Amino acid sequence: MSISGNYFAGVDVGSLAAKSVILKDGEIFATGLVPSGVNSVESGLNALNLALETAGLQKEDLTYIVGTGYGRVSAPYANKAVTEITCHAKGTNYLHPSVRTIIDMGGQDCKAIRIDQDGAVVDFAMNDKCAAGTGRFLEVMAGVFKVKLEDLGAIALSATDTVPMSSTCTVFAESETISLVARGEKPENILNGIHHSIANRIAGLFSRVGIESDVFFSGGVAKNSGMKAAIEQALKVTIVKPEIDPQLIGALGAAVIARNFSKKEGLWA
Amino acid sequence: MGKKLFRYSEENKDKFLESDNITFNDGSVVTPEEIWDYLTVEGPVKYPGTYEINLSQGNRDSRDETLSTSLKTHYLSLTFSARMEKAKESGKTIAFIQGGQAVDPYTAADTIALRPFLVGQWYHGREHGNDIYKSVLRRKQSKESAFHDMSFEACQTGGYEHVQVGDLPIDVIAPYTVLRCSDVSYGVEAHRHGPNKDVKLINVDYPMRHQADKPWAIEYFAQNLRKLVKTLDEVRGKTTTEYDLLRAIKLHNEGRRLGNELADLWWSTDIPPTNSDDRNSLVALANLDMHGDVQASLSVLKEAKNIIAERVKNGVKGHAVTDNPKRLFILGSCVGINESRSEDAGAIVVGKDDQWSHCTSIVEEEGDPYYNLAKATLEYPYEQSIEKRAQWTIEQIKKSRADGVIFIHNWGCNTQAAISRPIVDFIKRETGIPTYIHERDLHGLRDEQEQNRVNAFIEML
Ligand code: SF4
Repeated sequence: MSISGNYFAGVDVGSLAAKSVILKDGEIFATGLVPSGVNSVESGLNALNLALETAGLQKEDLTYIVGTGYGRVSAPYANKAVTEITCHAKGTNYLHPSVRTIIDMGGQDCKAIRIDQDGAVVDFAMNDKCAAGTGRFLEVMAGVFKVKLEDLGAIALSATDTVPMSSTCTVFAESETISLVARGEKPENILNGIHHSIANRIAGLFSRVGIESDVFFSGGVAKNSGMKAAIEQALKVTIVKPEIDPQLIGALGAAVIARNFSKKEGLWA
Repeated sequence: MGKKLFRYSEENKDKFLESDNITFNDGSVVTPEEIWDYLTVEGPVKYPGTYEINLSQGNRDSRDETLSTSLKTHYLSLTFSARMEKAKESGKTIAFIQGGQAVDPYTAADTIALRPFLVGQWYHGREHGNDIYKSVLRRKQSKESAFHDMSFEACQTGGYEHVQVGDLPIDVIAPYTVLRCSDVSYGVEAHRHGPNKDVKLINVDYPMRHQADKPWAIEYFAQNLRKLVKTLDEVRGKTTTEYDLLRAIKLHNEGRRLGNELADLWWSTDIPPTNSDDRNSLVALANLDMHGDVQASLSVLKEAKNIIAERVKNGVKGHAVTDNPKRLFILGSCVGINESRSEDAGAIVVGKDDQWSHCTSIVEEEGDPYYNLAKATLEYPYEQSIEKRAQWTIEQIKKSRADGVIFIHNWGCNTQAAISRPIVDFIKRETGIPTYIHERDLHGLRDEQEQNRVNAFIEML
């Protein structure tokens, strides 16, 4: 097969999943998403290879690769590494230029990011110290209720009531949840309470960076409809509907940056 | 598998051998030849960890080998532990200090003043052959036992721990009880209740609530400085005269003035003449307290100033500095960022506020030296009200033409944590410069999460 055009890839290796996006002529050409293993180089390569396979390309066909996420530090396949904060900003701006505020909830951290019309970061706040508001926290909760992680949001949305949670600490919330179950509270109402308490915790991050419309929700947790609804309520905003899987936004941003870098470095006019 | 070690290259040897000697407090001298031998033969065997190429610990595979003073500060760090042992054997008094003070009174009383970091360096330097991993592990072990013996909420407790368990022959604990450092209280309490009470304790009481313009406060603090010197004299069995203090002040003023000249030169050009690490280690010499030997620090500082002047004149760019780096000013006590990794991300550290605040305070040399020293110490910009400290910081930011400000506070550094937000807000309001606050985690490891935030901030700039 003869390959024409310029291809740029972004690879985002997070704690739970590795993602990749290939851009061709400014359009999303292929994507890849695989669970992260213990070896972050391998995880990144797996995600990249998946996208290459879908696209029918070889790695050599790529003009430039940018790595992001925690795995970016050891990404020998990438030409450059950029933090995921910048990548989420660029990826969001690429798809939704009207967005000025991003909530990013990934496997092990969550971020509040403010951006300008060009997708440049204006300010950010981050919680990476505490599991509250991360995919890991929800994973633990899914474990407590013995349900699939991806079903959590829908279960929370079916609630008829909100059982307030006094703690967002993963350890305390887990034992509190077990007590609530023992007290006879309905799982969906407890889960609803959990989603709301996390959303309120996230709202705290915005007290410093502020909120400006439009608002976008990226990262793996953004696929959780219950969390989206709880955040909309806590921040009193309507979240822009994502055009692609919101978990891919970081990788998309990395691919956009790859295109910009290669232009700067004269690899592509 | 052996770790890859950095080696000084023979290519630069001849030039290095032409550089200045280091002269020490006791009048002894080491020549560049001896320093070269140590750094290339003994050093790598004793302290392989400091040669190990490990970017996350700030060690690159190449260094500024043409900056002779960079090799000399490396030499002073590596020989620190052995020099302290030797000083102790020769009967020198050694004090554990904390609270960010200038060390003029200790110099006057012929006492080596060691901050917690240096106490740790002395202890850990006793063991040879450790790679980075083992060194970090050893430090963490000290910290863990300090958490256990003192408080889980304290930051720099390792130093007190070594005194408590009798690891190090420290003669006196003599911190300033100044508001900036919440850690002092933990250590002092631990000492009061701990097993090793043989070590004398004196608290130098620094009047709180910003009393720099009140004569009573200056008098009160001067009295405390007299008490400090008297205590040091009791420990060492000798008398310190007012003239000794005046001489010490003059010596330290020389260091402070040189430090200011060096920083002004460094800031005077758009091309950074050194990288961040070299800049910091040279400017840090100005308080003459970094290597346990004031004369040694002074002699390297003098040489450094001349080299920087030459580099600025010739437009020399520091090693591994990127073109047009984003200029960062770092605020907060006992902190810094991983300079090499931040440089790789396109930044350079152009200043810090902490010890620099003392360096900018020149002590009056006419009149009562105790009063003059007390007055200057109470006027340290870092110890002033939030607004005054922020105003002074803005001046430094402007002089250094910083593009961004990062305030870091250690977990457990309560005062700095509390005032970081208002200070940063003030600076942002007055200058419009982007700012960022970071809380460093308990063990002070320069980890990925911290670097991730710093890099994101650099990218934002
Ligand atoms: S970090 Fe803060 S509390 Fe800890 S020693 Fe330094 S000034 Fe004191």
